[in-house]
Amino acid sequence: MSRLRVGVDIGGTFTDFAILDEETGRIRALKYPSNRTRPASSVLGGLQAALVAQGATAEEIIYFSHGTTLAVNTILEYNGARTALLVTQGFRDILYIGRHRLPDVFNFFTAMPAPLVRRAHVVEIAERTLADGSVALPVDRAAIAAAVESLRAFGVEAVAVGFLHSYRNGANEREAARLLAELAPDLYVSLSSEIWPQMREYERTLIGVMNAYVGRRMETYFGDLQTSLADSLGVRATLLSTKSNGGVMTASEAARRPTETLMSGPAAGAIGAAFVAKAAGFSKIVTLDMGGTSTDVSIIEDEPRYSTENHVGNFPVIMPAVDVTSIGAGGGSVAWIDDFGVLKVGPRSAGARPGPACYGHGGTEATLTDAFVCLGIVQPGELADGRVTIDKSLADAAVGALAEGLGRQPEAVAEDILRIATSHIYSALVPLLARKGVDYADYVLLPFGGAGPMHGLLAARDIGFRKVLVPANPGVLCATGALVADVRRDLVRTLHIQIRDESRDEVVNASRAAFEALEREGGAWLEAQNLAYTRHRFHRIIEMRYHGQSFEISVPVAPGDLDGDDSRLAAAFRKEYAVIYGQADRGFPIEVRDVRSVAIGETPKPALETLSAAASDFDLSAATVERDIFHDGRGQTARFIPRAAIGLGQNIAGPAVITQYDTTTFVPSGYTARVDRFGNLIAEADDGAR
Amino acid sequence: MALDKILLEILGNRFTGVVEEMGYIIHRSAFTTFVKETWDFDSALVTRDGDVFAYPRSIGVTNMLSMNLKAAIDCFDSYEPGDVVLTNDPNHARGMATHLPDLMTFRPIFAEGRLICFAWCFVHSSDVGGIVPGSITPHATDRFQEGVVIPPIKLYKAGVLDEELKRFVLANGRIPDQNWGDINALTAALRTAERRVGECIARYGAGEIERVIEGLLHYAEMRARQVFAAVPDGRYAFSDYLEGDLLKTNHVRIKLALTVTDSDVHLDFTGTDPQVNAAFNLPTHGMLNQFIVLGIVNFLRTSDPEIPFNRGMVRPVTVTLPDGCILNPTRYAPTGIRYTTALRISDVVMGALSQAVPSRIPAAGSGQFGLLTLSDLEPKTGSYVVHVLQPLQGGSGGRPGKDGIDGVNFSGGALRNAPVEALEIDAPIFVRRYELNDAVAPGKWRGGSGIVFECQILSAHAQISSRGWDRFLFNPWGREGGAGGTLGATFVVDRDGRERPIPKIDVLKLAPGETVRIVSPGGGGYGDALDRDPAAVLRDVQDGFVTAEDARTDYGVVLRGDAVDAAASQALRAAEGRRELVDFEFGAARRAYQTMLPEAFQDLVVRILESEPAGSRLYLRDIIYSRAQESGLEGLDDAGLRQILADLAHNSRRPSLGRARTRTVRS
Repeated sequence: MSRLRVGVDIGGTFTDFAILDEETGRIRALKYPSNRTRPASSVLGGLQAALVAQGATAEEIIYFSHGTTLAVNTILEYNGARTALLVTQGFRDILYIGRHRLPDVFNFFTAMPAPLVRRAHVVEIAERTLADGSVALPVDRAAIAAAVESLRAFGVEAVAVGFLHSYRNGANEREAARLLAELAPDLYVSLSSEIWPQMREYERTLIGVMNAYVGRRMETYFGDLQTSLADSLGVRATLLSTKSNGGVMTASEAARRPTETLMSGPAAGAIGAAFVAKAAGFSKIVTLDMGGTSTDVSIIEDEPRYSTENHVGNFPVIMPAVDVTSIGAGGGSVAWIDDFGVLKVGPRSAGARPGPACYGHGGTEATLTDAFVCLGIVQPGELADGRVTIDKSLADAAVGALAEGLGRQPEAVAEDILRIATSHIYSALVPLLARKGVDYADYVLLPFGGAGPMHGLLAARDIGFRKVLVPANPGVLCATGALVADVRRDLVRTLHIQIRDESRDEVVNASRAAFEALEREGGAWLEAQNLAYTRHRFHRIIEMRYHGQSFEISVPVAPGDLDGDDSRLAAAFRKEYAVIYGQADRGFPIEVRDVRSVAIGETPKPALETLSAAASDFDLSAATVERDIFHDGRGQTARFIPRAAIGLGQNIAGPAVITQYDTTTFVPSGYTARVDRFGNLIAEADDGAR
Repeated sequence: MALDKILLEILGNRFTGVVEEMGYIIHRSAFTTFVKETWDFDSALVTRDGDVFAYPRSIGVTNMLSMNLKAAIDCFDSYEPGDVVLTNDPNHARGMATHLPDLMTFRPIFAEGRLICFAWCFVHSSDVGGIVPGSITPHATDRFQEGVVIPPIKLYKAGVLDEELKRFVLANGRIPDQNWGDINALTAALRTAERRVGECIARYGAGEIERVIEGLLHYAEMRARQVFAAVPDGRYAFSDYLEGDLLKTNHVRIKLALTVTDSDVHLDFTGTDPQVNAAFNLPTHGMLNQFIVLGIVNFLRTSDPEIPFNRGMVRPVTVTLPDGCILNPTRYAPTGIRYTTALRISDVVMGALSQAVPSRIPAAGSGQFGLLTLSDLEPKTGSYVVHVLQPLQGGSGGRPGKDGIDGVNFSGGALRNAPVEALEIDAPIFVRRYELNDAVAPGKWRGGSGIVFECQILSAHAQISSRGWDRFLFNPWGREGGAGGTLGATFVVDRDGRERPIPKIDVLKLAPGETVRIVSPGGGGYGDALDRDPAAVLRDVQDGFVTAEDARTDYGVVLRGDAVDAAASQALRAAEGRRELVDFEFGAARRAYQTMLPEAFQDLVVRILESEPAGSRLYLRDIIYSRAQESGLEGLDDAGLRQILADLAHNSRRPSLGRARTRTVRS
């Protein structure tokens, strides 16, 4: 009996499976159509298909982790529970004032994001906790009883509670919850202080609201999925859910804290990329995840970078998440001609439906994918076991219509579409890397997703990445991330104290005490996940800043930083500040805002299958087909090679096209590709190129 | 050789990438807090002739797109690779810099032995000297009180730092280290820009790059012309006011005649009031200035979101800015708070455009950006600590097809507010309310609401100061029958709960336990409230913005419980009949002011004063206005006014033997 790990990622078009056999270390990829109305059915259906393909049974599954976009889509599509909010009197508009920023200051007709709770459904409660945590005005039973009356009249199903200073003392929020449970036990209640007790009333309250908004739905979903996996398939492994912070938690925990899954999809992709890159021996990576509708970027330095300034739609989310930035549309970006005869690509996307014209779902506009088809780089026929069929005549017609408008050859226009799409990636990616302080000369580009390998090397050539790593299974990297992630929970406590005298130890003592409390809580949480295979450890971070600034930087706490006096801590801050901003000020007062603990239950990492060193096993030339493509302004002959046919030690000079189950990798001229022992493609710029 | 339009698109994107990368480099490596918090910095690529041809979309202060570098470039006969020019001088740079805290730098980019273009960037320094820390005060009466003036100087000559100039510049501000940190951030961004543009040139050749640069400007111009061509030809006049109370003068009128001819636009500000003796002047030198055309640029960006962000878009625009008016003051007029003036210019441009394309321009928004700070004595050190309490803006105007935005307006997008929880930890205050104002301007599309901020002072040494308030007297205008926006207001509540209104806060000292409440203005309504969808009225009632009573009187909507009584509402609306709608609802205060001082009379006064020295016109205007307000307009015609001026001139040269003459100002 083999031991299987299953990672699942539910996307808009496909539900991806990565199934790893622990004995052989081999990962199998499977794409199964997503059922948007009943996502659990695609998990079941796909898993069944995968097991059949593997010749395995459900009992062999020892680890089952999956990521769902249900919570994030519920928010983006505004179809969650009818939710009310209880706030401190005087702060009714906490959700509407927000951080006082417009999404687009140049557009007179811009709209603020519609709130998840109507103003009419916000109830002010006469209660108050002061900044020092003392309760100036306790919650009154009569006030909650009156609020419950209103909630009944509104017909709400869920309620969030967000009181001022509850991050410091949640007593009033808890008292409100106790009374709500007594007076209205049917309501789903979320407390801001329980979900993410960090100072910042707007963002904290918003997290509570989001949790209430999606809570019941996620509870139902995870309940159903767990039952059906166990009952109809006989899966015995604990069901895990991926998290925005790149970790996993049990599904029952995810049902309680669904906001922690909001950005789990992109996070799992970065975790998968980090795992693959580490195995391949690369530490500095820029990932480029190109799907049909979006292109996401993350930065990996052994581990993915994290951020506390994340967004879901236009809503800020301050819980730590893997730092993934969307830089535009993907393979579905539509090409068009403006009134002045200038060819444009995007920002509109043909989306999942109709998708590129060549998919034959009724799209007639040329997309980036159509351009690749028109150039001969992406071949007509079936992809992903026939789940996508590419019709070249449709791509040619779509690009041809543009070519006619421009009075140029279709192939030339198709290549221009690629060049313009690449220039968009340049104009978004290069400033992004500057913002993140990345000198990308030292970094390897790692493209993945459906369209990433197709366009990634062209982007690398244009922007100046000399080395590109295309993972062995680029189409299911998120699912791969799901099966190698650690159990992980972030915890926070706001201190908000200033280092007044660096020779004293007030701040280090307070920080140490806070860390110890958080680690007790985190340790108990890890225990409660009840996953015997994990090894527990904790990571300490202090959010610090110069007094007067409204953003913090995350300072990792090294052993010893909290011994001795506050000067060690100040020095650690200034060092980190200088790394990020190039310079730091010795004289300026420093504040500790929050201490953060990451409780990690490390899962054992599987060893990946390695290729045999005997390159002669493969008959590359027999597998290779030569075809005409249009590239760099002229018709050329390119080699088309199935990925599996490339053995160790074989160099594939561009232009070449490498095909596999779910994606196509294009190696342009100027780059030469080889495979490493894990089956990854490593492409390097030829000397003298660029 | 024909312009390659594919290359136009590719390099347009790439140049945008370059200027945005510059922006992020500045943000990362600049030192002062203010720079990082407010994004008050900017970057651009500029042609040899001084036109911005690439400008960021996602970072920076966002209002410098139409600036012109030519005057500053022309300060030197020649450039060498590695030169870096520094300046903050509104005079030598002729309105590129508009106040002294903006430290601006630029660097030539050469290729194939010739100058191709310039990279340019600036930061707003937190202090460049002058009479107050921070350098900006409304009370400055000349430029030299606002800090050190740096005419264009080569801080680096061919890559070599001029240490003497550096020492001189830094010695004249209160925060030399931070200023040097910020200047370093600028030069780092300039270096990167030079490298990136160099990469483009290496790939495509200098000649191709030059053609594309001109192509990009032309492309933006063509797109702008397409937008303007759809605006009906005509002359559209409009005026609006900066309130005079804080400026210690009568209200200051900004007057505009906007003329559209085919795709050309002319902005004529003749009739605008004289320059002021406070820091609200805008130094344009009579040329097209970025702050004059803010409204135009935003109109273009709204109408055509894809328009390339470069100065080509204002090529169809010309301006007339009479010498000595507040928008074209004399050389040494103070200019620190010219942004408040810029916001009003924007309102005036919008008001004029709105007559040409009523369905595309919102009613007036709050039109101001109030910043509230509290300084408190640090008992240990005895020095004052300054806390920024909240930026308070106010709602946008109602928009054809959409309600105004509550609490926020387009003009102040970049500055974030502070969490109340943080304020209560940091500053000696207890915040009682931070909410939207429940009162909103009725209209088919209602105005966005203002914000109410109320806090109790918990220190014996605290002092509140603020700047940027306006629209406390004259309502933001409503449009097409919509009501005027709500006014800003300030109150003090004493320990016993007694409340009293107070004027706009300049500096306010409160006793511990006293509470201050500030209400920011709300936007005007758009369209007749009787045409508002009754369901939207019901929603506003449920959400607390409209009372059931007001639903009936303002909107003609009758509610029964939680529903609209459609029949009763229809009957009520029918009974109201067609109200006579005004194009612009300016509110009672402005009507009263203009009854006393009709616009034609104001025009006459401005014209008569043209013969007087610019620096004394406002003073003379206020004397004339006092007479008009005291005894009416009788005799105040052309001849009468000239006589008054002659008498004043005569009397001022005679020693006064009696009681000293006092100047009367109506507040």
